Amino acid sequence: MPNPFDITRTDHETSLVIRGSLDINSAPQLAEEIDKLVASKVKRVSVDLAGLDLIDSSGVAALVKLYKGIRGHGGHVEMTGARDQPLAIFKLLRMDKVFNL
Amino acid sequence: MVHEMVAPIRLTVPGTLLYRAIAVRVVAEAARLVSGSDRRDPNDLLSNDVRHPFDTAVVSAFMEIFNNVAIHAYQRRGGGVIELAITPGDQELLIELKDHGKTFDIDGVEPLPDDMSDASLPEGGMGIHIAKTMLDEVTYEPGPPNLWRLVKRMPEKLSA
Repeated sequence: MPNPFDITRTDHETSLVIRGSLDINSAPQLAEEIDKLVASKVKRVSVDLAGLDLIDSSGVAALVKLYKGIRGHGGHVEMTGARDQPLAIFKLLRMDKVFNL
Repeated sequence: MVHEMVAPIRLTVPGTLLYRAIAVRVVAEAARLVSGSDRRDPNDLLSNDVRHPFDTAVVSAFMEIFNNVAIHAYQRRGGGVIELAITPGDQELLIELKDHGKTFDIDGVEPLPDDMSDASLPEGGMGIHIAKTMLDEVTYEPGPPNLWRLVKRMPEKLSA
């Protein structure tokens, strides 16, 4: 199964583009990359969710892990582009306000 | 309101996450039968095209319950099957999932925190909450076989 995400790093920012389905089968791959980002104390992460079609609670958990991990060392996470089913899930969980979606 | 139920769509899959995507696609199509929603691209039958609120609720809840069965009932090891009976009606969809794995303590699920702050953001335990909130009915009867019964009705304002 191809990764549902791409990560691009520059000196100033790390960009994460997520597409397709982020779920219990694909989220563990993302969680591994998140562990690396958090360990390297990245300061700014942008997350593009415009291509994300479906998410489940495992996918949400991975994004929460990213958000808490980066902010835990004073960094900033910006999430954009959530729509349709993923946005409905973030709203249901009342995370849309936290993630500023 | 007249509920004309058609014959259930039946699907039996191994109780592992490998078969989750297939089951989700079948459920999504059944939801479309009830909601009347169209695909963004009618020729792209493999896309995860879930936009209508009814389809969103059904698919979101089903994904969580399927995950629950594969993880808790069959403990990620498979070894059993999940029997699905999906019944589209005029204004509602009924989904039944049967498994022969371990029973699940649905009453032991912790509620989500009232305050969603950085510290309290949950990294787990959201699945049953999603299913219960998205659907009109979620019932669980411990077995064997264990039976999940999920019902979603079309709100009046979304009906044609």
